[in-house]
Amino acid sequence: MAARRALKAVLVDLSGTLHIEDAAVPGAQDALKRLRATPVAIRFVTNTTKENKAELLERLRKMNFDVAEHEIFTSLTAARNLVQEKQVRPMLLIDDRALPDFEGIPVNDPNAVVIGLAPEHFNYQVLNEAFRLILNGAPLIAIHKARYYKRKDGLALGPGPFVTGLEYATDTKAIVVGKPEGKFFLEALRGIDCTPDEVIMIGDDCRDDVGGAQSIGMLGILVKTGKYRTADEEKINPAPYLTCESFPHAVDHILQHLL
Amino acid sequence: MCIHGNLMKEPKGCQPRDRQMCGRSFSLWTTFPRSLCSHHAPRKVTRANGARRAMAAAVTAAWAQRLAGVRGLLLDVSGVLYDGGDGGGTPIPGSIEAVARIKQSGLKLRFCTNESQKSRDKFVGLLRRLGFDISVNEITSPAPAARQILKERGLRPYLLVHDDVRSEFEGMDTSDPNCVVIGDAGDGFSYQSMNEAFRVLINLENPVLLSLGKGRYYKETDGLMLDVGPYMRALEYACDIHAEVVGKPAPEFFRAALKEMGTEAHETLMIGDDIVGDVGGARCCGMRALQVRTGKFRPSDEHHPEVQADGYVNNLAEAVDLVLQFADK
Repeated sequence: MAARRALKAVLVDLSGTLHIEDAAVPGAQDALKRLRATPVAIRFVTNTTKENKAELLERLRKMNFDVAEHEIFTSLTAARNLVQEKQVRPMLLIDDRALPDFEGIPVNDPNAVVIGLAPEHFNYQVLNEAFRLILNGAPLIAIHKARYYKRKDGLALGPGPFVTGLEYATDTKAIVVGKPEGKFFLEALRGIDCTPDEVIMIGDDCRDDVGGAQSIGMLGILVKTGKYRTADEEKINPAPYLTCESFPHAVDHILQHLL
Repeated sequence: MCIHGNLMKEPKGCQPRDRQMCGRSFSLWTTFPRSLCSHHAPRKVTRANGARRAMAAAVTAAWAQRLAGVRGLLLDVSGVLYDGGDGGGTPIPGSIEAVARIKQSGLKLRFCTNESQKSRDKFVGLLRRLGFDISVNEITSPAPAARQILKERGLRPYLLVHDDVRSEFEGMDTSDPNCVVIGDAGDGFSYQSMNEAFRVLINLENPVLLSLGKGRYYKETDGLMLDVGPYMRALEYACDIHAEVVGKPAPEFFRAALKEMGTEAHETLMIGDDIVGDVGGARCCGMRALQVRTGKFRPSDEHHPEVQADGYVNNLAEAVDLVLQFADK
């Protein structure tokens, strides 16, 4: 492998990597402290479509993680940034809990569609409304395109199928803002003076975390916690830079080999 | 009317069919100049009558050839017989009489539709109210075709369909479903109903998804509405599967209609307003097909990159005029 430049930033996934629901991954808080004692910048990146930043922060603090709000970058933030960049007024097909992340964004007379996971909005009439907007030229912005997710009562449809349906109806492509889009990782690093080859991403999703980050030249570490299943590391090519037991092991590797 | 303009795609030379129509033989028909072709030669005023007669004869010959041996007609319904809208819709002028004339002629007739919001009973009720002489056993539509497939393959469906079409599946075993049938459920589409269909599919070893058509959208009086296609795509994406489309343009669907009508493909003419679903589908099965300039027809259809009709007519009435004049000749 060609010599890489010194590590300047670490991106860390939240759910499945630092914690599983309301329980921290054993040793994760201390590992984060050890990482903070180094000069690298840290950002937390997550593909949420429901939880706003304040909720995420509160949950992390309850588990005694030392995290600041400005260090969290979510797919909702990415969508908000894109909406502001494009100066559009979105129809928000997102869960009510995610609305605080769009505070101050004008939504009257919409000329864009932002779609997350919003079961209460996914009905014929509302989807028709979104469809007509898109057919009239409104951009379709997808928080992410996950096919389904695990709920307590079983598997449930994610936003992806509904995004795909609208794409088919209107013969357009959605702009996807969450992981594994390269732009997502780059935007999370905004304000940090670094290039992708100075960054490492740690996560439990082989495709979305590791594959996405490595596709733009970052290193990726796959942890065997959260949604990890045996042989997940074989799903991507090139393989993850490293596959290890959990977040603390990933931090140890960084401290020993990359600094 | 010039037959090159009307039915030929390639503007440069005389085509094989022209050759026969012109009554000449050429060794290199592709390079035969239009100016030498009797119906393309520049008209001379002094020969105006002669030229006109020659053209009329050529047009006649063209239609006679295209319609020769037609014994049965397969008609699309929406956009050919009537346009949907308030109070059920309105008949397209001349279509009521056209249907009656086909029936009097002794030609075989069948209606081939992708309607999946209504049962055949309800659909026929609507058409009869509009003035059409039509009965349930003359219609080939996706729901009964799907029912047949379910029966043949021993499938127990989860039905994600409109309440008005549910009666088509009456008496079927829907317990412990091992497939999903999706139609244009309209207001029946919700996260909840989609999720139930998804769970049936994702838990099957061999997921089967039957879709009653795959249209993207259609027009109603208050605007465009999502058709079944986008919802079909959603389930395909969620489960990483491909749906089996029951309805036009699936060849099995056309073949079923032919079987029910009792004609062979080569002696059957399809008439529809959808260049891909009607014309393309029928021609793929070896039928001839005309496109009417009503319903969802758009002028660009006549220059479609992949599908060309055997002819384009203004409406069903004009199609029937030609068929009755030439079909048996």
